[in-house]
Amino acid sequence: MENRPPEVDLNEVVVKYRPVVSFKVRKSLGARTPDWEDVVNEVITQVIEKVRKGEFRGDSSIGTFIYTITSRRIIDHIRQKTKVLRSVPEPVPIPDPCDDAESRERAKILAQAIQQLKPKFKEVLNLYYYQELTRDEVADRLGISPRRVSERINYAQKLLRKIIKT
Amino acid sequence: MKKCRFASQIDDYLLDRLEGGAKEQFEEHYFNCVNCFREMEERDALISTIKLQGARLFREPAASKRADWVPAWKRAFSSFTPRQWATVGVAAAALLIVVFGALPRFRGSSPQFVLSETEVVRGESLTLMSPIIDVRSVPNYFEWKSLGQDVEYKISLYNGELLWTASTKENRIQVPEETRQRMQPGQRFAWQVRAFSPRGALIAVSSKVQFQIAPAE
Repeated sequence: MENRPPEVDLNEVVVKYRPVVSFKVRKSLGARTPDWEDVVNEVITQVIEKVRKGEFRGDSSIGTFIYTITSRRIIDHIRQKTKVLRSVPEPVPIPDPCDDAESRERAKILAQAIQQLKPKFKEVLNLYYYQELTRDEVADRLGISPRRVSERINYAQKLLRKIIKT
Repeated sequence: MKKCRFASQIDDYLLDRLEGGAKEQFEEHYFNCVNCFREMEERDALISTIKLQGARLFREPAASKRADWVPAWKRAFSSFTPRQWATVGVAAAALLIVVFGALPRFRGSSPQFVLSETEVVRGESLTLMSPIIDVRSVPNYFEWKSLGQDVEYKISLYNGELLWTASTKENRIQVPEETRQRMQPGQRFAWQVRAFSPRGALIAVSSKVQFQIAPAE
């Protein structure tokens, strides 16, 4: 008896996975790459086509299936881009003003929240995220244990969430 | 709620510390784990903000910097032992002996000033005495303050260009008749004296002083 492909709600897939695919594409290509959104749309289109064609057989999770398509499409895009860049100059990117304004506003709120943290939390964020020291290096610098460093980072994030909510 | 074992890799992934298989494994994981993905999005916003605005966010306030500021000499001396203090004292005394004892002996042998193209900028100057203001008739002598024995003076007289120059070991010189005849009433002149050591080294220069011979009535 032939195995029937699992039922997939494509609407749900698109709603749930678009942000995940977007994140992976942005991380791989860089948020400043003007056509990252085109790549995301292509991935979503491919996912829908493949699911409709019955290529998703349920051997892996739908997440893994989409991850594989996303990774391949990114690699193809980079290869294609390299060829194009060799022959034609890159067009000037057109920024999306809404996206910029929104993310700028979010960043502004977050920055204000960081300013309100106690110096010991700011210091640990500075060393770990800004200066990109490892946990052990931060621990050495501050004269505390690496475990304590992790606790401070986690607690700083908890405080930020709290400040932003209020 | 038990935390996902991949959650501890979020920072490493965002800070590009995961490589190869570990990176792919983590990526595949967040395609399947909503909680990790949400946490990662939140952390990414934090890291992006810190990366963009860190220089401003973590800048120390100027006021607290000023309060903690200690002058460099204070920082250096605060760690001195009594023995080091003694060494510093001896060194300072030796320096004073050199400055006030030995250096004056060399004063006559080397120039002690720097000149720009035409004027004295600093160093020992030579004071001109006469003529230094307007005069009624053509002067017979030029006179300046002596700098001591064995000093040779070179005088130069200008009326726009060099009119006359001469050398002497005295602190005054008579103007030759030939030159006097070329100095007409109503004209403006300038003169300057340079002093040389017996070895021929320039040791002092006067400023250029102007004077005018009163016009004939």
